[in-house]
Amino acid sequence: MISIAISSQKGGVGKTTLSINLAHAFARAGLNTLLVDADPQGSVGLSLTRQSRLLSGFYDFLADPGLPMERLIVPTRLETFSLVAAGQASDYEAGNGSSGSHLARVRAFLRNAAARRYDICLIDTAAGLFGVTNDIISSADAIIIPQQAEPLGIRSVPKLLEGLNRLRIINPRLNVLGVCLTMIQHGLAESTEAASALRQLLPEEMLFQATIPRDEIFIRASAKGLPVGVLENAKGAETVFDSLRAEVQTKLARSRAAATYQPH
Amino acid sequence: MDPVNPWLDPSEVRHLAEQLLRPVAPARLSAADPGFDASFIGFTSGGVATVLPKPPEPPTPAPLQNAPQPPAVPAIPQVMKPIGQPAISAPPIPASAPVSPPSPEPPSPPPSRTRFLQRVHIFRDWLTKNFQATDIFILDREGKVIFDESGHGRLHFMARNLAIASRGSGNIHVKIGPAAILEVIPCETPYGRIVLGALMPDALPADHIHTITEVLIQTASPA
Repeated sequence: MISIAISSQKGGVGKTTLSINLAHAFARAGLNTLLVDADPQGSVGLSLTRQSRLLSGFYDFLADPGLPMERLIVPTRLETFSLVAAGQASDYEAGNGSSGSHLARVRAFLRNAAARRYDICLIDTAAGLFGVTNDIISSADAIIIPQQAEPLGIRSVPKLLEGLNRLRIINPRLNVLGVCLTMIQHGLAESTEAASALRQLLPEEMLFQATIPRDEIFIRASAKGLPVGVLENAKGAETVFDSLRAEVQTKLARSRAAATYQPH
Repeated sequence: MDPVNPWLDPSEVRHLAEQLLRPVAPARLSAADPGFDASFIGFTSGGVATVLPKPPEPPTPAPLQNAPQPPAVPAIPQVMKPIGQPAISAPPIPASAPVSPPSPEPPSPPPSRTRFLQRVHIFRDWLTKNFQATDIFILDREGKVIFDESGHGRLHFMARNLAIASRGSGNIHVKIGPAAILEVIPCETPYGRIVLGALMPDALPADHIHTITEVLIQTASPA
C-alpha cells in the first residue's frame, strides 16, 4: 500500500476537493482506495456522508487502542472506494496535539489499512504542519501539496518547504510528489500571475502539470455529497483528476525505480 | 508590481525545494537512540520478532507451585548449535559481567556468555509456556537491551520509563492493546538491577510475579 498525505500550510486551498476527487480517480482506475479524513473540521465526511458526525473515525482510532479498524471503514457505491471519517474524538484534537504524541497510533492505522489490502490510502490532513498532521506526514510514504494560485498563499511556500525538510529527518522515505496548483482563475490576472511566479520559483519536477481550476462544478458536487466525477457534464473535471492521478503514479513508479537502481 | 517575489528569496525557496527532491540518506542506526546500544534497530513497524535459535533440548520448566527451581543447564556445545548463526540479537551479557566485549562476528562466544544465554533461553521458554508470555525482553541497569525477542524499541522505551517511575515499588503493568498487557518486572540481581518486560494476555497476580522474580534472579546469577 502507498500512503499519501494531502497537506498544505494554509487552509482553504482546495485540499479536500483534491483529496476526494483524486481518491475517486484512483478508485475508478481499479485501485482499492481508502480516503481518510484527518482534518478535524471533517470536511471529507461532511462532503460525502450525511451521517459522518455519527461515525467513528480516524481520531477515535488514535484515542482508543481497542477500536477495531472495521468499525471505521465506510464503503461507497464504488466497490474500490472506501472512506474513514474524522470521527467523534476530532473536536478536541483541533490543533492541540503535540507532534509525536500520536505517531505510534498513526502508524498502527496505516499498518491496519495495509493489512486490508488497500492499494492507495489518501489522507486529507488539517492545514499547517503541526500536531497530528506532522505525525501523519512522518508516517506516510508520500505527500502532495495543494497550493492555491493566489499571492498570499504562495508567500507561505518557504515555510512549508522548511517544515517538510524538517519532517524528512524523521521520515527519510517521505516522497515529496510535488505541489499541485488549485483554484486557478484563468480570467483573473492575479491568479495566473501567482501560478506563473510559482512555476518560476520551484524546480519543474516539484510541480504537477495538472492544475485544478476554480469551477462551480466543485460546489455542485459538494452540495450533492458526490465526487465531481459522478456528476453529469463533469467530463472535464474528471479528466483533470485522471491526469493528476496518472502523474502521481508516474512519480511513484519513478521513485521506486530510483530506489532500486544500483549504480555500478 | 510583482505579487510574490518581493516577499520571498527565490534562491532560498529553490534550495529548499531541491533538497526535498533529493533522497535522504538513511540514518546510521548503530548509535541511533540515546539509552540504547548498538543492538537498537529503530522503531519497527510492528509484528516483527527477532528469530532466536533455541537450545536443541529445552529442559523441563520449573513448575509454578514449586518454584523457584533453577533450570537445568545443557552442555555448552549443544547451545552453540546451529553453527554460524548469532546466539542472540542483543548484547548477551549484563553490562557489569566480567567477560570480554562482543566482537563484530564472534565465531564462538566464550563459555560464560554461553551459559548466561542458555539460562535466558530456558527462562524465556519457561515464561512462555507457563504464562503465555510473548515479546520477552530484558534490560540491564542502564536500560540497555540484554535479551530481546520483541524487536519493538518502543516497548523497551516504555518498560524502561515504567521501571524508573516505579522504582522500589515492584512490578508495574500497562494495557497496550485489546488483549495485550506489558508486564514490567524490575529485579535486583548479582549483576545489578535488571528489568524484565513481556506481553501477557492478562495482568499477573502477585504470587506469579514473585515466582517469576525468583526464577529471573536465579537466571541472572553466576552459575
